[in-house]
Formats: sequence, C-alpha cells, structure tokens
Amino acid sequence: MKNKKLLTKLSLLFIFLFACNLFWVDSLSASGISADAGLTPAANRWIFKTQFRLMQRDNHPTMNQEMTMQMYPVVIAYGLKSNIALMVRQAFVEKEMTMMGKTTNSSGFGDLLFMAKYRLVRVNKPTYTFGIAPTIGIELPTGNDAFSSNGYDLRFGTYFSGRRRRLSMDVNMLYIVNGIKKESDVSTEIGNEFSMVSALGYQISMGSDGNFSFTPVIESSYLKTWHDTNNGINLVNTGESLFLLSPGFKITKSSIIFESLFQIPVWQEQNGLQTERTSSFLIGIRIMN
Amino acid sequence: MYKKIKIIFIGILSLFLIISMIGCASGGNDLSAFMNDTNKLRVYEIFGMDCPGCHGGLENLISMVPGVVASKANWEKQQLQVVVDSKIEVTDQQIFDAIKEANFTAGKRLK
Repeated sequence: MKNKKLLTKLSLLFIFLFACNLFWVDSLSASGISADAGLTPAANRWIFKTQFRLMQRDNHPTMNQEMTMQMYPVVIAYGLKSNIALMVRQAFVEKEMTMMGKTTNSSGFGDLLFMAKYRLVRVNKPTYTFGIAPTIGIELPTGNDAFSSNGYDLRFGTYFSGRRRRLSMDVNMLYIVNGIKKESDVSTEIGNEFSMVSALGYQISMGSDGNFSFTPVIESSYLKTWHDTNNGINLVNTGESLFLLSPGFKITKSSIIFESLFQIPVWQEQNGLQTERTSSFLIGIRIMN
Repeated sequence: MYKKIKIIFIGILSLFLIISMIGCASGGNDLSAFMNDTNKLRVYEIFGMDCPGCHGGLENLISMVPGVVASKANWEKQQLQVVVDSKIEVTDQQIFDAIKEANFTAGKRLK
C-alpha cells in the first residue's frame, strides 16, 4: 500500500518533469550518467566508456555489518547501423565486508553483459528532439563466484530521450530477469529487478566554437529488487526498494565526456534484516571516435 | 594483480581527463585552412544535435562522402559546414544521406 502511494507520487513527478521538458521556454541537454540513457549513436561510431563507482551499505540497527564496494565497469558500444547499436560491458569489482568486527576483502570480475539497442523513434525538429529506443541484453555467468549471478540474466529496457534547446531529459526503464543460482545443490531463483532512472540537465556552452560544454545534471532513480525464492517460497532478508536523488555534472569536449555523480538515497525499504544503502559516488569518462 | 588493474584504471582516467582539459583550451579545426581555388564551402542546416559530442560521428560520416575535403558541425548554430572539391561532383543528396546515417535531420542548404 505504502509502495503504491509512493509509485503514484513518483509517476506524477516524472510526468511533471517531462511536461517541464516539453514546455520550458528556453532549455535542455543532459543524458543519464548512472545509467546509459542515450539513443543509438551514428553508424560506424565507437564509444568507449569507463567509470569508477563507490557504493556503500551501512549497518542495520540490529546488525553490526557494513559493506564497501568499488566497481570499475568498462563499456564498448558500436553503431552497427544508424538505428542499431551493440554494447558489451565488463566490470571489475572490489568488495570489503565487515561483520561483527571482522573484515573480509574480495575482488574479481563481474558477469559479461551483451546488449543491443534499436532506435524505434527519432524526431529531429529545429526546437526539439525526441526519441525512443528499446533494448535487449543478456548477462553471461562469466564472473567470479562472489560477483556473479551464476545464471543467464535477461534485460529488457526502453529509453526515452527528449531535448528542447539546452534542456534535456532522459528516462530509462529496465527490467532484469535474473537466472537461477545453484549453491551446494540448492537452487535459488534470484529476485528480478526493475529500475527507472530519469536525468534532467541544462547544457551551458563554453568556448566560441561550440565544442565544449558544461552540463549540471539531476537524476532520480527508483530501484526495486524482488525477493529471492526457493521452490516458490520467498526467502527472508532479500529484496528491497529504494529511491535515489543524484546531483552531478558532465563536461563535454568534442569526443570526450567527463562525468561525475553523487547518489543520495532519499527513501529505502529492505525486506527483513538487511544493510541499508548509503550515499554513492561515481566518476567516469566516455571517448567517442 | 588486482592492485595493478586499479592503478592502470585510475591512470588512464586521469590521463584522459588531463588531455580533455588541455584540449578545452585549444580551438577546433578551422576550415579556412582547407579553402583554395578548387575547394568550395557549403553550409547546411541540421537538426537533432544536442551537444558537442555529436560532432564527431557526423563529421566522420560526412568525410566518407567522395569529394568532401573537410567538415565542421556546430550543435549550437545547428549548422554543418562542408568543404568540397569542386572537381568532384558532390550532390546535396549525398550529404543528406550521411546526415541521416548520423541520426540527424538535414534542413535547408544555406550556402
């Protein structure tokens, strides 16, 4: 019930932000930072993207537990045709876990992700641009045990992109169907995930030849992970919902984009006893040919 | 080994940041360097570019049109400047097709 009310409020917020984008007199250009929210790149164009993400989870009042995770994802995207883009992502992860005063460290590669994006709609007008691009992806269980879902995960997403002069808004919706994890002959169905990220930004042009810009960005993210299940029974202490607000910025210089974001959880609800998400930090760079 | 990967990663990130910052201080390519008796300048209206990052993909595709010597896009002015070799026939349609491949929409030819 509480979730339903929140979802209604969030939906209204997104509609409001979207309406602002469409009717703003003089504004928009941003693109997502924490999530890829762009449309397909030009044909034959390569994009290399890498980030450093610092994520922390703090102890629940009744638990003496915390976790720090550092992630280094690398994404390579290619514009196969003007309306089809292919992407591959590989992340390296470092994790530090403290439980009851005892700290353990682990590190390794995450699962390999392949994604394809199809530009369904793109309207370019003198005063605005609008586009929709659905995506489909598969995550292979290639990662180290600690960072792998140990199953084939499917991803279905849709990207909405709107620009009105210097103002931009991107909305990215993604649903992940997680696979089955097998540990010591026990099969656990990992809970599916849903995320909705919207990014709103205002592009400030710097320099005389229009090839350098600074863009303050504000992102809002709703993330939901369903319960893990075993033989159809929900497992306790799994599944969560959270809402993040993230101020950040992008610096674009011709074919290089430097970006940074600070994610602040403003609302979260974990099932059972679980650590809570604290603020996260992200810094990244994109290079395009 | 993992520490090495981390150091290399942060090193690459810092290097590109420095390069991009140095690059910010310098100007873009000036088409006047390509102008002579045989090369002619054309200017097209173009819609859909929304940041300086769009220029590269478009300029790459335009440069693949036979007869194009150089090009420069400007997202703010919504314009594309193309220097063509007048000895080789380059039609507007060839330019429009390249613009479409870059996911943008061509407007009028202004010059």
